[in-house]
Amino acid sequence: MFKLNLKIALRNLWRNRIITSINVGGLAIALAAFILVVMYFTYETSFDKTNPNYNNIYVVGRIYPDFKTNYTSPPFAKAIKQNFPEVENAGITKRGFFEFTMKNGKNTLFAKNFMQADYNAAKILDLKPTGGLEKPAGEVDRLSYLSEESMKVLYPNKTDNKPEMVGMGSSNSGITSKINGSIINNLHSNITFDGISIGNEIGQGENYGMNNYTTYIQVKPGTDVANLEQKITKLYRNELLKGETDQKTIEEIKSISTFLDPLSNQHLKPKAGNDAPYKILIALSVLGILILVIACINFTNLSIAQATKRAKEVGIKKVMGAYRFQLTTQFLAEIFIQCLFATVLALIVAELVLPYFNNLFQINLSVWHIDNDLIWQLPLILCLITLIAGIYPAIVLSGFKPALVLKGNFSTSKQSYWLRNSLLVFQFSIAVIFIIGLFIINSQLKYMRSEDLGFTANQVVYIKNQTLFNNPVKFGSLNFESVRDKILKIPGIKSATVATDVPDGAENGTNGYTFEGVQSSLDFVDVDFDYFETLDIKLKQGRFFSQSFSTDTANSAVINESAVAKYGMKNPVGKTIKGCNIDYKIVGVIKDFKAQGFESAVQPTIYTIKNPCGNYKTQIMLKIEENKMADALATLKAQWPQINPKDGQDFRYEFLDELYGKLFKKQEQLQSVFFAAALLTIFIAILGLFAFAKYITNGRIKEIAVRKILGASDIQIFKLINRSFLVMVLLANVISWPVAYILTKKWLETFAYRIDLPVLPFMSSALITILLTVITVSIQAKKAVKANPVDALKYE
Amino acid sequence: MKNRLVLPAPSLQGEAKEVSKYLIINKMIELKNIEKYYATKGIKHYVLRHVTTNIKQGEFVSIMGPSGAGKSTLLNILGMLEEPTYGSYEFMGEDVTTLNERKRIELYRNHIGFVFQAYHLIDEMTVYENIEAPLLYKKIGGSERKSRIADLLDRFNIVAKKDLFPNQLSGGQQQLVGIARALAAQPTIILADEPTGNLQSAQAEEIMALFQKLNREEGITIIQVTHSEKNAQYGNRILHIADGVVKDDIAIA
Repeated sequence: MFKLNLKIALRNLWRNRIITSINVGGLAIALAAFILVVMYFTYETSFDKTNPNYNNIYVVGRIYPDFKTNYTSPPFAKAIKQNFPEVENAGITKRGFFEFTMKNGKNTLFAKNFMQADYNAAKILDLKPTGGLEKPAGEVDRLSYLSEESMKVLYPNKTDNKPEMVGMGSSNSGITSKINGSIINNLHSNITFDGISIGNEIGQGENYGMNNYTTYIQVKPGTDVANLEQKITKLYRNELLKGETDQKTIEEIKSISTFLDPLSNQHLKPKAGNDAPYKILIALSVLGILILVIACINFTNLSIAQATKRAKEVGIKKVMGAYRFQLTTQFLAEIFIQCLFATVLALIVAELVLPYFNNLFQINLSVWHIDNDLIWQLPLILCLITLIAGIYPAIVLSGFKPALVLKGNFSTSKQSYWLRNSLLVFQFSIAVIFIIGLFIINSQLKYMRSEDLGFTANQVVYIKNQTLFNNPVKFGSLNFESVRDKILKIPGIKSATVATDVPDGAENGTNGYTFEGVQSSLDFVDVDFDYFETLDIKLKQGRFFSQSFSTDTANSAVINESAVAKYGMKNPVGKTIKGCNIDYKIVGVIKDFKAQGFESAVQPTIYTIKNPCGNYKTQIMLKIEENKMADALATLKAQWPQINPKDGQDFRYEFLDELYGKLFKKQEQLQSVFFAAALLTIFIAILGLFAFAKYITNGRIKEIAVRKILGASDIQIFKLINRSFLVMVLLANVISWPVAYILTKKWLETFAYRIDLPVLPFMSSALITILLTVITVSIQAKKAVKANPVDALKYE
Repeated sequence: MKNRLVLPAPSLQGEAKEVSKYLIINKMIELKNIEKYYATKGIKHYVLRHVTTNIKQGEFVSIMGPSGAGKSTLLNILGMLEEPTYGSYEFMGEDVTTLNERKRIELYRNHIGFVFQAYHLIDEMTVYENIEAPLLYKKIGGSERKSRIADLLDRFNIVAKKDLFPNQLSGGQQQLVGIARALAAQPTIILADEPTGNLQSAQAEEIMALFQKLNREEGITIIQVTHSEKNAQYGNRILHIADGVVKDDIAIA
């Protein structure tokens, strides 16, 4: 029985092989996209899942009235562990805030993130040094490990796991440090590092004010977390209140609370942070599902188109003694075969596309490895799509009454008319939304690339540097003047400056400033001479910093337009703004420039050379003539140890335009995804339409023949066949416009600087879909139109 | 002669299945007061009215009448493809007007074979497979299936055609396959709706002769709907229907 059904199914598929391959091919492509999305989803949601205590680990964070943070202080973890028996373990980690340079002979490692963790945190986070996690011997002893990748850089030929002594900083620094071995740096974890140093206790002697650490706790299974959260808040307030007498501070402390954030939240939607990755993941999953559904709809629509023919088969089989469920399973089996085939194809397609996908999302997924969740996901998906695609034939077709279908003039077209057309409209609506979305993302990105940033990142080289150039001298920092003089001697270098921040999207520090009695918070950037010239920032009023004014290094300030607006200043130049106990004299106002990209508005900012409350000035920027760029960089590299002796021989640089361009990366990812999604949906929908139109015209061959005999011209018949499809496509456009309007508007609203929602994408999507429909349908209609009416009318 | 067969007869409930098919059962089919109407906008449009008749095992009944008289509806009701609006229908002593789908299909598997005017072979199956299909549904074993099909192919002289698809056969040949398929499950009754309607006269005669032979030699009850007086003469009883009413019930010698 099954064998026969299988045989019939295969014969049936072979007879309609063009349509079958269109269907299976379309599904395979959609499925490949879906498989990628599923893999990505699994990857993104399974960070740290290998940790045996995954479900019991929480990050302790703090909530202030106006912000949330994961940063906590060292004594807090200890207090939590001492007070609450349900907390099995509590530990802290600290990110590396400095880039370490490590050396072994000629091999140099730049460890961006050299973490610190106490032994408890290492245990909670399941850190795995080669040879197992050891407890450091004494109170202050540290065990330092390098990630396996970092170890490879320093010791490419190392095979044992013996400790090594590495040089720190430049080779002439003379500082060495012991590395105890290598450690697995699990990239599929929230805790990644280039190296880590583990102590029994870290942050000794630091008090509750030193909030530079992340606190992890591991609770006993079954702990009431909400209750624990409240208890920890109470504990935290009590700890802070110890010895506090100032009423105002006490009130402030009472407004602070704490939260427990599960480890599982950390990667996608940390409570203290944004949940954009989560939203993107959900959006991507919805895209994947939609594409798959659209491909499944092709199956259903084709089943509907074939229904008249299949209905007869149902009728015959029923009077020969087939139960309904036997027919249901037969139809499902037929769809299943196709879906199975599509799945195999999809895996191949996914494998081929995977390198591009990995590249786009900067991950490393692979289809073929043993513990891949696809092993159970894929059969599930297969069954699911079989159900979606087969539900119509399985339920509706198998239910036909033999007496009706065997009478001869039976037609299913009326019953399924609505279903069939609404499915087609649905497919096209989705395609239209994607097309519009793609157009609008493109326009916004084009706008972002071409819009005046207010500064020029071209030909600006950003040099990584560890020497501090604060002036007046602070913590052994140097004066930048001598370095600048040496740099400017190199031909091609037009200007050189140093600052606390470069305009690469990073957030600046903020501080309170008072202007004419109004206090407000301003972003501050500490700069040096030539900062504005190097970045080609436009002056609005007054002047830039200049060496010809000796006061500039003492109390001159430049502010931007936003700052002027914030205070409502009139003729600010020459007036005084007070901050950090200095009365700054405003010497100039610059035009706003988009240092933080397009998503956030330009912040009111103050630029000063002297700022005792500021950060370290380490970021060197040079403006270099384009045609002398290569030579200048080579010279810089060669002379760097002499130019900047404290930084050592490691000359590392980046081009500022590339650095700034990274801000667009997320949007470019989105653009690629949308491009693929729009292309796929339109492709699959057109495939479906192609097959569908073929059936429809086949069904109307007799009608067309009769019309031709009655004197209809070819054009009239083309019009006739196209009309119903055109109506559907237009309807799809009308339906999807408001949806696309709302969605794209919402997306555009995430940008502080954005385009006005254009009308053109809506028009173009209509034009594109209509054009594609007319072409697709006309190709099919041509056969019916060209056919000799006699042939069509001969058979009954 | 007008005689409506409304004779009461002893019931054979429960024993029906065990009865040998060569034994004449007096009341294989018993229709009482069958009515069928369609209500459109509140107006009843009658297709069948007060049809009361018995058909005995081994009869070869032809239902005749003008177009739209209700012949096919009557046959559909006999084949349980349609339900009467009113009246009772007992098939082999069992009331089948309210049979569920599963029980009805059991009857199809074991007792009823259908032959259609448009043959209704399954286009995707070969001749062999078309004949085999009902046996598969009846769960007949492989060897038994093979021998039955071989026997049918042989009897109907279509052995050479067994691997062809329906669209490669002439209409007469297709109908032969249709009949072979109906016979494969060894039914007690064959319901044929204008079996020769689409055939040329020579082929039609062949088919009718075959029906007669099946009826006489194997005792298979046959009920056919036909337009042709000539075809009706192959049977042994004619029911004339007009406007949904049985006008005549004639026995043929």
